[in-house]
Amino acid sequence: MSDVAPPITFARASRWYGPIIALNDVTIAIPPGVTGLLGPNGAGKSTFLKLAAGQLRPSQGEVRLLGSPAWGTPALFHRVGLCPEADAFWERLSGLQFLTTLLRFTGYDEEECRSLAEKALHQVDLLDAKDRKLGGYSKGMRQRVKLAQAIAHEPDVLLLDEPVAGMDPVNRRRVIDLVRRLGREGKTILVSSHILHEVEAMTRQVMLIHNGRILAEGDIREIRDLLDEHPHTVSLRARDPRKLAEAIVGWPTVLSLSFGSEGEWLTVQTARPDDFYGALPEVALQAGVTEMYSPDDDLESVFHYLVAR
Amino acid sequence: MRDTTRPLPFFRAARAVFDLSLENMIWSRRSLLMALLVGLPAVLALVYRGLLAADVPTRAVPPMDLYAIIVAIFWICNVLPLMALFHATSLVADEVEGRTLTYLLTRPLTRPAIFAGKFAAYLATSLGIALPSAVLTFFLLATARGWSGLGTSVPDLFRDLGVMALALVAYGAFFALLGVLLRRPVIPGLLFLFGWELLANLPGYLPRLTLTAWLRSLIQHRPAQEGLAGLFGQVQPAGLSLAVLVVASSLFLTAAAWLFSEREYVLDQ
Repeated sequence: MSDVAPPITFARASRWYGPIIALNDVTIAIPPGVTGLLGPNGAGKSTFLKLAAGQLRPSQGEVRLLGSPAWGTPALFHRVGLCPEADAFWERLSGLQFLTTLLRFTGYDEEECRSLAEKALHQVDLLDAKDRKLGGYSKGMRQRVKLAQAIAHEPDVLLLDEPVAGMDPVNRRRVIDLVRRLGREGKTILVSSHILHEVEAMTRQVMLIHNGRILAEGDIREIRDLLDEHPHTVSLRARDPRKLAEAIVGWPTVLSLSFGSEGEWLTVQTARPDDFYGALPEVALQAGVTEMYSPDDDLESVFHYLVAR
Repeated sequence: MRDTTRPLPFFRAARAVFDLSLENMIWSRRSLLMALLVGLPAVLALVYRGLLAADVPTRAVPPMDLYAIIVAIFWICNVLPLMALFHATSLVADEVEGRTLTYLLTRPLTRPAIFAGKFAAYLATSLGIALPSAVLTFFLLATARGWSGLGTSVPDLFRDLGVMALALVAYGAFFALLGVLLRRPVIPGLLFLFGWELLANLPGYLPRLTLTAWLRSLIQHRPAQEGLAGLFGQVQPAGLSLAVLVVASSLFLTAAAWLFSEREYVLDQ
């Protein structure tokens, strides 16, 4: 196996399921460091990642991992780690047993398995819970142990499918820092997500995927500039939405306001989401904001906007 | 020192998968159900001995005839094939359904080694459930009327255990193939067992296309057959039967391992 080529390469790779094209004629080389794979649900992110992880065979073209074909080369997995999206485990195993079992599959002896497993569990802050059964782990802990199994054998390439989904803010920060550190150490990390802010916290290098095609790739700031021209929508549920509206209507970041039909929701359009989110907490506390979400977070509207440009 | 340029050696990989799968299989509800079913003859043998001890007048079925019926009809023709059906069709299906197969397929393990480890775990589990029950039933019935003659019967027990093991291998291999070939293999498997395998009772060459016919030819304690089986039941030479079953099992397992290597299971998850 040669490492001269970029660690992950797609050469005119397509993948279809019957009549549905999931990935369409993609040619790309992913260099070492952290690369974000951004796209709305159904864009082809999972297919891209599964092709890269050798779990799917390309219908056409070629996908290579560390210089070898990704499909049908199991030896690659000495040097590749995958954190799958599915929340699935052998529930009877403890966190430590789960990791040592998988490390054994990678060829380590018992002592090495234990030491590497404990190191990985420490990195995701699960060492204290190592002897608890996976069936008793919370959603966030399960997400972290999944990441731990991907990094435990210290691979050169990491493929992470929505790695911080379901984590609390503290652990989300911790995992983001871990991914950034591994990237700085020279590992090749491909992170898929549908949340722009999440990927932005890990890397500046992103690929945008939509309808099975790579729409754009490069520095996230360039994409941000494009997005900043596009209004960002935030929906807020508050005990007193009128008071909230009065407080924010004069903000220069706010483009428009509208009340929801049920009377508790206020929808805001802003041109500068970062400034808006920065100023919001104090006012939100006074107006009793109980829920907040941004429909734009799923990137769907952003991609429609980019495609339409 | 690990060799990271090659997958894990076949036997080492299969052993690691075996260890993981064995624990999952032993503690499954499926195994518990099968243990109850396979263990039923031991309970029946105890009741039989109780009736003999109490001098309750019964239709006199000699104990070793009862044992022969249990081996040939209950275990070989029905319960062991059922056990093979439920365990072997789910070797890969359970991991797909539980969405844990990804963890196995993203390790440096060849797929035939994964398959071999899982099949070995199936065999260990099913033999571990079936053989103790057979031994217990044998001793309960063989000593029902005293210990005389036990010594001469024991070699036959070993032959019966061998045939039971062979039944689990042959049916297991066939159903493992069905399991990797079909998305829902249980109904076709039941049709095979209780449809196709009845061909064993017909005249001519058709019985040779069934596993039952070859297995039946190997049984030492063979009960008197009734109906179609009594009329046409054929007994093949033991050596030929053994060879056919070994070759058929090897072919089924090779085909299953090849199919498992070629399929994209991620689509099912």
